[in-house]
Amino acid sequence: MGVIELDGLTKDYGDVLANDDVSFTVETGEIFGYLGPNGAGKTTTIRTLLGLLEPTSGTATVLGADVHDEDALIDAKQRIGYLPAHLGFNEEVTGADVLDYHASVKSGDRRDELLEIFTPPVERPIREYSSGNKRMLGIIQAFMHDPELVIMDEPTSGLDPLKQEEFNEFARDECERGKTLFFSSHVLSEVRRICDRIGILRDGKLVGLEDVETLMEQGGKHVRLRTTDEARTELTALDGVNDVQTFADGIQFIYTGEYNTLLRELATHDVHEIDISEPPLEDVFMHYYGVDGEGEPNQEVQSDA
Amino acid sequence: MLETTRYETSRRLRGTVILTIGVSLYVSFIVWYFSLVDASAYAQIAESVPPAMREAFGIQTIGTIEGWLGGQIYTFVWLVGLGIYFAYSAAGKVASDIENDRMDLLLSFPVSRSQLLLEKFASMVLPLVLLNVVVGGVTYGLVVAIGETVDPMHLVLAHLLSIPYLLVCAAIGTVLSVLVNRAAVAERAAIGLMFVLWLVESAVGAAEEFSWIQYISPTHYYSPTPVLIDGTYEIMDAGILLAGFLGLLIVSQVLFQRRDI
Repeated sequence: MGVIELDGLTKDYGDVLANDDVSFTVETGEIFGYLGPNGAGKTTTIRTLLGLLEPTSGTATVLGADVHDEDALIDAKQRIGYLPAHLGFNEEVTGADVLDYHASVKSGDRRDELLEIFTPPVERPIREYSSGNKRMLGIIQAFMHDPELVIMDEPTSGLDPLKQEEFNEFARDECERGKTLFFSSHVLSEVRRICDRIGILRDGKLVGLEDVETLMEQGGKHVRLRTTDEARTELTALDGVNDVQTFADGIQFIYTGEYNTLLRELATHDVHEIDISEPPLEDVFMHYYGVDGEGEPNQEVQSDA
Repeated sequence: MLETTRYETSRRLRGTVILTIGVSLYVSFIVWYFSLVDASAYAQIAESVPPAMREAFGIQTIGTIEGWLGGQIYTFVWLVGLGIYFAYSAAGKVASDIENDRMDLLLSFPVSRSQLLLEKFASMVLPLVLLNVVVGGVTYGLVVAIGETVDPMHLVLAHLLSIPYLLVCAAIGTVLSVLVNRAAVAERAAIGLMFVLWLVESAVGAAEEFSWIQYISPTHYYSPTPVLIDGTYEIMDAGILLAGFLGLLIVSQVLFQRRDI
């Protein structure tokens, strides 16, 4: 049985369908990335998993507990850590007070160990905290009772790049220790660095469920270059060039073909400037799930639930 | 158990101590003022006030220390001031946790919603006990200090009977708190509602055909002045308040249990 199982989960707010028949399973010991642009419905899924929202239809289980069953969910919550997207702490208390309170409810065996990696100024009141410090305090409370499953909503937002990297390393270590991590993000590069598998949510619908490697292969590369007019015409004719956009004296496109072909072609032209990078999430969607994003996916969406 | 109550109580401590000191200073001023003025002058004041106001401020027997305390402290501060404070303070609790995204984390605890709400409510016990004990003690001490006497049992009774009343006020605030998403709205609604209930109860007492309206106001069931003067009270009133308190608490539980966060 999966650590998290969603079966036809639907949440209708009336004016907006935040989750539309979402089904997938998160297996023990994996790092699952829940990816989607802002407003796609990621937080709604997470809040439903924690019993904060009542699903309109469908169901979900977390560590075997049905989200409709409060008693079962309370038992499960002893083994769940949660890091919300917006961290609310009482402003006048200190970080240590917050951790004391959390430890009194759910234990804090790993608190000291975590404070060596993440370093919020625990003796100071929360009102003096930067967003990064709040985030670190949030990470500590989510992991300090050594839960089996940690659910995180945009865990690295607000962290500086150095701490982000430390967090990624920490997450991988935790996974090796047997923890299951579920986290949402709207940043593809972040997710791809640490996740094993990714579910993609768009307008409340699960539009993809892939291994990270597969997704990135099919997502292609974002190529932006300045070159001659003639080269531009020839490059756009290559196989695997999609979504071409021209600007002043250059073009940009998503390349999903074979790398050597592109490099050989480039070598025959006069290239003034080039930038090859990971495509933004929106472009992956465009390529991977239909050019206008509204059409049918090019790829069969597989559901393992 | 009670981790949340402990946490919330420790957060309340500072504000409660300040409030207790403030009320105690007000009591000192009122008692000191009584010692300055000739008692017969008060009787004249009471005579000249319209009956509805006499009723509202409990100033029937303003010329005695008991009547003076009943009007100036137990009606004005306890019935109106603290009634509003308890409703206001409880109204901010849950609504501000939801508004400021704190409730997300609190509900990720292995604790039921109903227990969380009860534990938060239980932190109101601190102001309830501290204000009654300290201000009651201060009042008695000061009355004795200016050479007057008040029956200590009557004083204790006036404080004891205020507990069900203040619990109802806090429960009204709690219902508003789980009903509304924004703390400021819940708090203002609590202040407004308590004030209106008190005004309505005072005003309709004189009008025969609308007199039933006074029964919906909790202020109708706590009358500190007669308790202080001769120890008379209706135990039924305290029973009605306790029943109302439990009813409101159940309503808030049902509302909180069912709502999306």
